[in-house]
Amino acid sequence: MTSSTRALGVLAVALVVAPLALPPFFLQLLTEIAIVGLFATAFNLLMGSGGMVSFGHAAYFALGAYAAALLVKRAGVPMLLALPAAPLAAAGGALLFGFFIVRLTHTYFAMLSLAFAQIVFTVIFKWKSLTGGDDGLLDVWPPAALKSPAAYYYFTLAIVALSLAALHAVGESPFGYALKSARENPRRARFIGINVRRLQLFAFVISGAFSGLAGGLFAFYNGSVFPDFAYFTKSFEPLVVALLGGPQAFFGPLAGAFGFKILEWLVSRQWPVYWPLFLGSIVVVVIVALPMGFVGLAGGRGWRTRLTGKT
Amino acid sequence: MSGLSVGMFLFLVSVGMSLIFGVTRIVNLAHGSFYMVGAYLMVTLVEVLPDRPWAFWLALLLAPLGVALLGAVIEVGLLRLIYHRDPLMQLILTFGLILVISTLVLLAWGPDNKSVSRPEALAGSVLIFGQPFPSYYLLVLGLAPAVAVGLWLIFYRTRWGMLIRAATVDREMLGALGVNVAALYTQVFAFGSWLAGLGGALAAPTIAVALGMDGDVLTTAFVVVVIGGLGSFAGSFISALLVGLLQSFGILVFPAVSIVLLFALMAVVLVVRPWGLLGRPEQ
Amino acid sequence: MADSTDRQDLVLQTIGLRKHFGGVLAVNGVDLSVPPGDVRAIIGPNGAGKTTLFNLLTGDLTHDSGRIYFAGEEVSGLPPHQLCRRGVGRTFQITSIFRRLSALENVQTAFLSHHRRHYNFLTPARRLYRDDALGLLELVGLHEQARKPSGILPHGDQRRLELAIALASGPRLLLLDEPTAGMAPRERHEIMALVARITRDTGLTVVFTEHDMDVVFTVAQRITVLHQGSVLTEGSPAAVRANPDVQRVYLGQPTSR
Repeated sequence: MTSSTRALGVLAVALVVAPLALPPFFLQLLTEIAIVGLFATAFNLLMGSGGMVSFGHAAYFALGAYAAALLVKRAGVPMLLALPAAPLAAAGGALLFGFFIVRLTHTYFAMLSLAFAQIVFTVIFKWKSLTGGDDGLLDVWPPAALKSPAAYYYFTLAIVALSLAALHAVGESPFGYALKSARENPRRARFIGINVRRLQLFAFVISGAFSGLAGGLFAFYNGSVFPDFAYFTKSFEPLVVALLGGPQAFFGPLAGAFGFKILEWLVSRQWPVYWPLFLGSIVVVVIVALPMGFVGLAGGRGWRTRLTGKT
Repeated sequence: MSGLSVGMFLFLVSVGMSLIFGVTRIVNLAHGSFYMVGAYLMVTLVEVLPDRPWAFWLALLLAPLGVALLGAVIEVGLLRLIYHRDPLMQLILTFGLILVISTLVLLAWGPDNKSVSRPEALAGSVLIFGQPFPSYYLLVLGLAPAVAVGLWLIFYRTRWGMLIRAATVDREMLGALGVNVAALYTQVFAFGSWLAGLGGALAAPTIAVALGMDGDVLTTAFVVVVIGGLGSFAGSFISALLVGLLQSFGILVFPAVSIVLLFALMAVVLVVRPWGLLGRPEQ
Repeated sequence: MADSTDRQDLVLQTIGLRKHFGGVLAVNGVDLSVPPGDVRAIIGPNGAGKTTLFNLLTGDLTHDSGRIYFAGEEVSGLPPHQLCRRGVGRTFQITSIFRRLSALENVQTAFLSHHRRHYNFLTPARRLYRDDALGLLELVGLHEQARKPSGILPHGDQRRLELAIALASGPRLLLLDEPTAGMAPRERHEIMALVARITRDTGLTVVFTEHDMDVVFTVAQRITVLHQGSVLTEGSPAAVRANPDVQRVYLGQPTSR
């Protein structure tokens, strides 16, 4: 058993046992960490493996959250049936937007993805009759059995764990190899027969779907959904989290989520207004001060781990 | 008509963003924030200046200059340090600036909406084609094309403008020829910020000055720039008009539809010309 | 000229290929016929149009007029990934590989794509086509370097890797763009000898451009000489070498050889 597998095992045990030791507040924090970790890992399928940095991933998070919430509130669908709608709706949005976005690269890719996310935000905001607009949708709770912090924590943990396993499999699959090759050298990828645009669209949809699932989980955790789930500041989150943890390692985003959420908790409880300022400043300072930017970007860490053989 | 004026604000912001990108190759995501600061500065200036007819005009003059100063400070203090870096890092940094600036605005002006009254001279309305229009729009509709013409004159008829055009093509060469490229960058960034600030200051009497202005204008500016093509001034102008018109037209028909129209337009353009109507492909 | 039945026999054929490039008629009515198993060198002095012609063959440029046939079917305007599926492989003048992937992964990915398994989301790819990939790596002499990140390999090894990647796609025609560029003389002969051996063993057809005349005359079975966008002459190495027009174009005057 390698050291990383062992570490994972210890972590898994700790997570399962946590409700026995931790007060509800920390369980809730862990639940949020898991959700953000899923969101960031889904995002990182595109960034780390695909070399595509989306500045508008909140769109899919929000589509998922609202799809599930709308089904529960407007159609009376039970939560367990509504939740699967989250990844489906998000995948649909990702397919529609992604079709256009993957035609571009780098800066244009980022900008267009941001533009689409803002469009989603504006639609949610303005379509008051359907989405409740600025007021959001309230009383979006899980059924009684899952309502307690510990119960929802386990529920989220299970779903996130399964999702991460799926995303991991995708990364290690032939599709993952092809995606990485398209990242490394799109021209060469084409000349071994890969339709790069189509491949990247698939990756975009998968990434969007799991982002939507994270959104759905968050909707029921939060008990309500609001338009700012789609706002660009939300799009910033998976980006910063993934960069913080290291995009070339599969569990990097999850680790980043942990650090990010703890930091957010510490800062927000003292000075809630200052959190965006804090976050923005940290980002600015880190980018300016560190030559490599955040740890692990541009394959720095990935390079090293390759050579040393560790995962 | 209001669509045209909205288009004018957009044009000012977009052309500023395009200009900055054209020369420095940085997409300033905080450009919407500059627009917002311009509007808020307008609020304060109008409050602070004596209640005289010329106060509005002085404020309109000073607010964009304030934003230009902010832009210059950011360029010298931060952007200079990252010009050589990965464009992604630059994007993230300007994204971070959005958060910083919006919080600072919140701290300085508070969470409530503000407003700016129109100057007396333009407080009424005029009849155009039998329809009443706020006179203020005449200012906007007059000023923005004047700015466009002014920009053209600057870029094509002055030495400074020639330097800027040269910089968009080959910065290194320019430096090799002894031009102080660093100073040029600062000037360009300040000028682009000034344009955004002017857009915000001009817009202030027509909309609610509130937090979140930065996001609204950024979105639409993005759409404008994506449609028109990054780095193309003519593209920004044409698409700003298009987008402004579509938005207003859409709002008349059905509020939610305007955004869908925008999306449809963007989609159509991107399928036919992925880099915008007049944009250049990335290298 | 060849009629359609002959066309089927030719791996590559161009008819009246024309391309304006930068205001110059870079390729001016080039007719090319490459039979199966041929090792064809395209040479010519600088400005003769070989790079442009090559880029037309690989689909990097679209021609103004004329037609390109691969195995009897017209392939003008096909996107690269479809060209590859038809059986055309290529290497690039500046080595084009997947730098952060290991040499093994590079070749495996090519196999995965070739066998159309690249939309498989769930199977771990690590073991797939590993033996096939190792076999190819051994063929090009990179067996030792299989696990190393390909970006750190020396230039010559990267070129060998690129050859392996191209071969993994099972091409019928291999287009090599200045295959020995940047290589030391001994390496050049090694890699081209390898190419020659592969064509002998598998019947692969190769078309390549080259500046190094030593390599060309050693390896090529037939040579097409371009001059100012048109075909000056075509023939066996010996015939081309003795051709006075060729000598004049390259050296300025006929030489007695």
